Amino acid sequence: MNFDLDAIVIEAVLIEDRCRNSALAARVIEKIPPHVPVSYVADGREAAMPQTGARDPFGAGKRRMVLLNRRSPFLMACPTGSAEFACCGYLVLTLASNCPMDCSYCFLQEYLAGNPGFQVYANYADAMDELDRLAKRAPGRHLRVGTGELADSLAFDRITGISRDLVEFFAARDGLTLELKTKTGEIDNLLEVDPKGHTIVAWTLSPHAVFRSSEHRTASPSARIKSARRVLEAGYRAGFHLDPIIAYPGAGRDYGELLDELFDFVPPDRIAFFSMGTMRMTPGLRTAARERFPGDPMLLGEEVLSPDGRFRAFAPMRIALYREIADRIKASAPKAPMYLCMEQPGVHRRVLGAEPPSVAALGERLARG
Amino acid sequence: MVVNDTAAAIRACAAERHLPETHLARWLRMAERDRAPLLAIARALRLSTGAIVTALTTLEEISVRESCAIESVLARDPIARIINSRAGSAPARAKAFLEALRAIRYPRLAEAARKLEAEIAALDLPRGISVVLPKDLGSDQLRIELQAEDGAGLTRLIGVLNANRGALAHIADVLGCGEDRLRK
Repeated sequence: MNFDLDAIVIEAVLIEDRCRNSALAARVIEKIPPHVPVSYVADGREAAMPQTGARDPFGAGKRRMVLLNRRSPFLMACPTGSAEFACCGYLVLTLASNCPMDCSYCFLQEYLAGNPGFQVYANYADAMDELDRLAKRAPGRHLRVGTGELADSLAFDRITGISRDLVEFFAARDGLTLELKTKTGEIDNLLEVDPKGHTIVAWTLSPHAVFRSSEHRTASPSARIKSARRVLEAGYRAGFHLDPIIAYPGAGRDYGELLDELFDFVPPDRIAFFSMGTMRMTPGLRTAARERFPGDPMLLGEEVLSPDGRFRAFAPMRIALYREIADRIKASAPKAPMYLCMEQPGVHRRVLGAEPPSVAALGERLARG
Repeated sequence: MVVNDTAAAIRACAAERHLPETHLARWLRMAERDRAPLLAIARALRLSTGAIVTALTTLEEISVRESCAIESVLARDPIARIINSRAGSAPARAKAFLEALRAIRYPRLAEAARKLEAEIAALDLPRGISVVLPKDLGSDQLRIELQAEDGAGLTRLIGVLNANRGALAHIADVLGCGEDRLRK
C-alpha cells in the first residue's frame, strides 16, 4: 500500500496575505483539488492555532494547510538533543510543521498541540541563506541537515515541489548534506534531480504490525523499501530510522523479518545509516496519544517511567530488543553506521559494544557517508 | 442483577467513595458482563477510590493489549483466587488484587523483576547490605547500599560483597545487557 496523497483530506488552504504572490502559493493553488476552499488571512500563525470546539484539535489542524512566512530561524539543533544522551549532530531545518499522516505515537501530538495547523513556510528560500551562513561559519566541516523533524519531508512534495529546490541547493555545497525523512513513497520529484551525493533520503521503518496498528495513512513498509531502492538507483543515499522501535510481543521476530525484506531489496553496502530508538513518551504525550488512539495496543506496551521522565520499555527488555536488532543489522550490513537516538551513552555502549562517538564526530561521519 | 440495577449499584458505590465523575463514566461505559464483576470485587475487597481508578485503568489497558473482555481477565486464576479467598484482610487482598492485575498488564516486567528479586534473595546477604533494583526496572543502574556502625562492621560487609561479586555482577549484567540474560 502506498501513501495516497489524494486520500488525504485538506479541508481548507489559508494563505497569509504577505505570501499571496509567493511561488509556493502559486504552486499550491495550481495543484490543490478545486473543491478545497482557498482564503487569505492577515496572520498565518493565528490560522494555525487549535480550532475551538473541535473534538480533536490536533487532527483538525492536519486538515488545514496554512501557507505563511516563518518569523523565527529555520535552522535549529535537533530538539531531542540533550547533554544526557549520545546524539548524532543532526540539524533541523523547519520548512513545514505538522504532517498529513497520523501515527498514534507521534511526538507532534504534544509538541504542536498549541499550533497544530499544517504550516508550510513560503519564505523557505531564506532558509538557504541561513544554510550558507552556517556553512561559512564551519569551514571544512560536514553537516547533516534534515527537514523531517516537525513534518514529513515529502508528504506534500507533489504539491509544493520544495524538495527539488532543496536537493539542487545542497548538490552545489560540499559541506552540507540534506536528509529528507519520510514515511511515503513520494519520490517522483527527487528522481528528476541529480543530488550529486549530497542528499540522503531516509525512511522510518516499522514492522507491518506497527504499520497496521499505528501508522495511519502512511505508505506500507514494503512500499517504503521499494522507494528506497529507486532513489538509490537515482544517485541518492538511503538511510533508515528504526524509530520508534516498539517492544510488543513478537517484536524481535517482526523486526528481523522487516530487515530481511529490506536487505532483499536494498544492497546493505549502500545503506548510509541505521538509527534506532525505542518508543519514548513524556507523560503528556502518552496521555494525548492514548486519548486519540484508545484502541491501539502498540501504545500499551511495558513502558515504565525512566530516569529522564519519559516512559520507555523497561530497561532489560529494551536493551535486549536493541541488541537483537543491532545483531541482525551487523550480520547483513556490517559497515552501515548505527546509532541510538535519545539513549544514554551507557545503553549505546551495551547495545553497540563501543563508546558512542562525540556528537561532532558522528555528525560528520553521517554527513560525509 | 439486571443492567439498570448494576448501573445504580455502581453509582452508589462511586458515591460512597467520592469517585470522580470521569472514572464513574468509564465504569458505566463498560459492558454489563465487565462492569458487574468489577463491582462485586470493589465491594468484596472494599476497594478504595484510588484502587478503583487503578483497577479501571489497568483492566482497560489489558483488554486493549490482549483483545479480550475484562470479564475474562477477572476470571483468571490469580485474580479469582484472591477474590474467592477468605484469608487475609480486605485491604491486603485489595493490594494483592492490584498487584496481580499489574503482573498481567506488565507480564515480562513482572517476570524479570521476580527473577532478579529471587537472585538477590538467594544471596542471603546480611543486614547492612541492600541491593536496590531500579524502580520498575526503568533504568540499567543497580544500586548497592552499605550501612555500618563502625569500621569493623564496614570491613565485614565489604568482605561479604567481595565474596558475592560474581553473582552481583550477573545481576548488574541482566539489568544492563538485556532480558535475554535472565533466560540463560
